[in-house]
Amino acid sequence: MKALAIAGTELRMMLRDRGSVFFIFLMPMMLILVVGVAFGSGGDARVGLVVQDGGPLAARMAAELRELSGLRVRVVSDVEDLTADVERGRLEAGVVIPDGYDRAVRAGSAGVVRFVSREGAMDGVRLGFRVQAVAGQETERLKAARYAASQGDGPLDEMLARADRTAPSVPEVAVETVTVGEEQIYADAEQFDVGASQQLVLFIFLTAMNGSVAMIVSRRLGIANRMLATPTPVRTILAGTALARVGLALFQGLVLMIGSAALFGVGWGSPAGAAALLVAFCLAGGGAAMLAGAIFRTEQQVNGVGLLLSLGLGALGGSMMPMEFFSPALRTVAFLIPHGWANDGFAVLVLEGGGLGDILVNVGVLLAYAAVLLALGTWLLRRALLSGVR
Amino acid sequence: MPGTEDAVLRCEGLRKSFGASVAVDGLGFHIGEGETYGLLGPNGAGKTTSISMISGVLARDGGEVLIDGEPLTGGSVRLKSKIGYVPQDLAVYPDLTGRENLRFFARLYGLNRRDAARRVDEVLEVVGLSDRAKDLAKNYSGGMQRRLNVALGLLHRPRLLILDEPTAGVDPQSRNSILDSVAQLAAQGMAILYTTHYMEEAERLCDRVGIIDQGRLRAEGTQRELVALVGEQDHVTLTGDGDLEALSARLAELDEVTGAGVTDGRIEVFTHDARALLPRLLHVAEAEGTTVRSVQVVEPDLEAVFLHLTGKALRD
Repeated sequence: MKALAIAGTELRMMLRDRGSVFFIFLMPMMLILVVGVAFGSGGDARVGLVVQDGGPLAARMAAELRELSGLRVRVVSDVEDLTADVERGRLEAGVVIPDGYDRAVRAGSAGVVRFVSREGAMDGVRLGFRVQAVAGQETERLKAARYAASQGDGPLDEMLARADRTAPSVPEVAVETVTVGEEQIYADAEQFDVGASQQLVLFIFLTAMNGSVAMIVSRRLGIANRMLATPTPVRTILAGTALARVGLALFQGLVLMIGSAALFGVGWGSPAGAAALLVAFCLAGGGAAMLAGAIFRTEQQVNGVGLLLSLGLGALGGSMMPMEFFSPALRTVAFLIPHGWANDGFAVLVLEGGGLGDILVNVGVLLAYAAVLLALGTWLLRRALLSGVR
Repeated sequence: MPGTEDAVLRCEGLRKSFGASVAVDGLGFHIGEGETYGLLGPNGAGKTTSISMISGVLARDGGEVLIDGEPLTGGSVRLKSKIGYVPQDLAVYPDLTGRENLRFFARLYGLNRRDAARRVDEVLEVVGLSDRAKDLAKNYSGGMQRRLNVALGLLHRPRLLILDEPTAGVDPQSRNSILDSVAQLAAQGMAILYTTHYMEEAERLCDRVGIIDQGRLRAEGTQRELVALVGEQDHVTLTGDGDLEALSARLAELDEVTGAGVTDGRIEVFTHDARALLPRLLHVAEAEGTTVRSVQVVEPDLEAVFLHLTGKALRD
């Protein structure tokens, strides 16, 4: 009961501070939103369209593009604006149907449609293929109509109409797609899924490290000594301190999971798997916080070194970029730290639809980390308390 | 003076070193029920280290601490419920209210919810913080924080109250309030160990004083015993109209007077007990036809004793 009183008091003080509440709950939610909106693969791709030609063939090309599924086509007034929007990420790609397109096509020359995308953007590459496919269909239609016109069947416009009428009855050459291996990019993930689990892991650890300040303040103010002077065993004081660290992490994790599910529709996969992973990672984070609270002597050390450590481990462990983009060497490094195992576990649950059985190794490794960190942190903190070290 | 066998606190041969530095070296004393014992010494004398060992916060290198005859060891959790510890630090949570701080420590002292609620109200009353109980401790003045610091040590009605410089850096009003509270608690039978480097506080509160320097107890006893121990005498300065030389010679003949003489138109008289001598001194002056204009008595104080014993001032 005394351990609960110690943990409860620390949590109460932490949650009473508005700055902490912002940092623990609101900031990660905002980042989930920002990351999801900016990089999430869910939703329609945004494509800008500049139509400089007023002819019917240009209008038809534009209409074909608008009818493509999975695309949100927005008409842009000029090429400069289109280029700027693509450069700044407001559009994934852009298409320009230039002035003279209609005339060139009717004259039998090659019609040129310009496609604009960012250098190296995967979305741009995929969209480029789709625009090319539309252009290809239009080319086939024109070829058929021009051939018929050259045979004296009638003017080009009439032949185009006939081609449109005949096209549905012409058999197509179908391409049968066979997929092998595993999907590497989370193409089917909802918009906020990837970012949510990454931010969860990053911020649970960050908050745990930041929470170790409470242990340092307690020693600096002499509160830890005062507790030792009460009829409370040292082990109870240590248990209460650890409980506060782990309890805060769990509370934060639950709020972020439930909040992101409610607000952004994030799916966390198997409830049992997600709970096991969350508990295991919170225990590891709590252990790291105990260790930091025992090793660091000042709040400034925690704020500086602790922050760098949290962000560094977050980056290496796949909390800032999916590990699928990591080189093999970096991926190996990621699995040397708890973040890597946690992010990998959440990816299995959230993106691959795995269950508890699929992440048992992840949970086991995280529990092992937790055992080592909690044992080491508790031992060092006990030593610091009893030696009167502040 | 209470015997050591029924002492609430008895410590013997306490020793503590930090590396090569010896902080406490063979300290020993005892405190009886209702007695206030002052541990007087300058900063760095070893007072806080001694208190930390006695309250079980700091492991000792050697020696023994007995509370009501029971030895205090590393595992003596139950025995700690007899000790109230008021550290020199303001060991309170700044982000909790006064009442929340008290409730939290009441739980650590093992009080149930009902007792805790009652005792919290009582100690708030004792230290005069009832009307500010709902304010965050960080919004208290320094003196109020000191009073809250004291209140936290009283929650469980300890047999022994240990106060480590409880008035450091407080305003005179709060200092008086704290000193009055301590005197009241001693009157109720609590044994009190009080460390300070303020001589006036030790003189005002303490039944006995131990003088500590460089981790060693240099002397202990009542103020008068300590003064007598070092041979200091009371000093009476008398001015008046008449034959001062004749009066001085007459006073020097008195048994209680150890020396008398005239300096710069004043008679200087030395005695072991100025208060007892004073009526007779005035009577003799009247008999000698001297009109006394002023009398000043200077009794040797603990400052003088400390200076005598250690060769340095208390606040060096």
